[in-house]
Amino acid sequence: MSLPYSLRTSITPPELELIATQQLIEIIPLIAIEKTAFISGAFGPLQPPRKAKIPLWMAINLKLRKKCHIVAPEWLSVEFLQSRLDEEINEPGFSKLPFRYAEISKVLLDVASDDIQNTDKIRSLLKDLREARQAKSREGLDQINRGELSVSNLCSMEINEIRPFFVHAMGILTHLHREASTEDQL
Amino acid sequence: MDNDYFSIDAILAENQKIQCTFKQKIPEMGHLGGGSERDILPQSKRQIPIWLAYIIVYSDWADFDIPQPFSNKVRNALRAEPRSVRLSNLVGAGTGWYVFGKTIMDMLGDEQGIEMSEMLVTTFKGRLVDVIDQAQHFAALGPVGGSGGGGGVDSAPQMFREGLDTTERELFVLAQESARRMKRWYEESSGGAKRML
Repeated sequence: MSLPYSLRTSITPPELELIATQQLIEIIPLIAIEKTAFISGAFGPLQPPRKAKIPLWMAINLKLRKKCHIVAPEWLSVEFLQSRLDEEINEPGFSKLPFRYAEISKVLLDVASDDIQNTDKIRSLLKDLREARQAKSREGLDQINRGELSVSNLCSMEINEIRPFFVHAMGILTHLHREASTEDQL
Repeated sequence: MDNDYFSIDAILAENQKIQCTFKQKIPEMGHLGGGSERDILPQSKRQIPIWLAYIIVYSDWADFDIPQPFSNKVRNALRAEPRSVRLSNLVGAGTGWYVFGKTIMDMLGDEQGIEMSEMLVTTFKGRLVDVIDQAQHFAALGPVGGSGGGGGVDSAPQMFREGLDTTERELFVLAQESARRMKRWYEESSGGAKRML
C-alpha cells in the first residue's frame, strides 16, 4: 500500500467534515430558487421568508454569498451545551450529543457566526465538552483489553481520533495473549 | 508484532540469541556459537539464534533458558513499576522487547507461556496510558517544539520516552499523528469558507 500508515487506519477530519455537510439544516433564504435536483435529491423551492431544509454544504455556499440565514440547530445553544457539560462532569459515561456535533458546530461557527447567539460562550462550552470527553476516553485506555471496548455516545470525530492507536493497541494485546490449551506445542 | 512470513519485526526478533543447554552430543557442530571444540557435548551451553533454536529445541536436543530481558530481576522491576523500566535497553537495537517476548512465549510450554503472556500484557497496559499521554502532549506542542523542547526539564518523562520499545514507538507515532491532525483541523477555518473567500 502506498498510503501513509496514518491514513490507512482512519480517515481525516476534513473528510469527516465533508460527510457531515450532507446533513440537512434549516435556513431562511433571502433569494428565491426553484426546486432543484441534485444527486442526493431535490431541494427547494426556496421562497424568501419561508424556512427551508437543505443540505449543510448548500447552506454554507448560500451563506457565504449572503443569500440566506442559517437557523442554528436546537443543540447548538448555551442552555443545551451547558446541561450536557454538567452531565459530562457529574456522570461517569459520555453524555448524548449529536453524532457529528463536532464537525457541524465547527462549520457553523466558522461560517455563520452572526446567525448564532452567544458564539463566544458556545465556543468555550464546546471546548470544555471536548476536553471533558477526552479525559474520559483516556480513562477508557486504562481498561482496554483485547476483546472489546464499549464506548457508547462517543461521536464520530472522537472515534476517529482514538481509532488508530486503540485498534493498534488492541491488536498488540491479542498477539501477547496466550490461551491455555492443548494446541500445537510441537 | 505478528508472525507473518513477511514481517520484518518477526525476522529481526528471530535474530536474537538465546542460551541453550544441549542434552545430547552433537558431533562436528562445535563451531556453533563460536565454540572452539569439535563436538557439542551434553550439558554444554551455547548462544543460539532463535531461528536455529526452534529446530534444536523442538527436536529435544537442547533446553533453553529464559533470556535475560525476561529474567526474574526484570520481572520484579516490572511488577514494582512498569513505567520505570527502560525496555529499549533490555534488548539489542533493532528488536522489540514485546516482539522478542512473544517469540519466546510461543516456544514455552503452557504454564510458563501463560505466565509470560500475563507479564507482557500487564506491562503493556501499565505503560500504554503514559505512552499516549506523552504522544498527545508532544502533538500539542506543534512541529517546532516537538523535537527539542518540552519535558527536558523534568527527566522522568524524558527517560520514559527514551526507554520506549519499538512497538510502543509505533503507537506513539500513531497517537501523535492523530492528535496533530485534530489540532490542525480545529485551528484552520472550515473548507467552505476557505474556498469562497
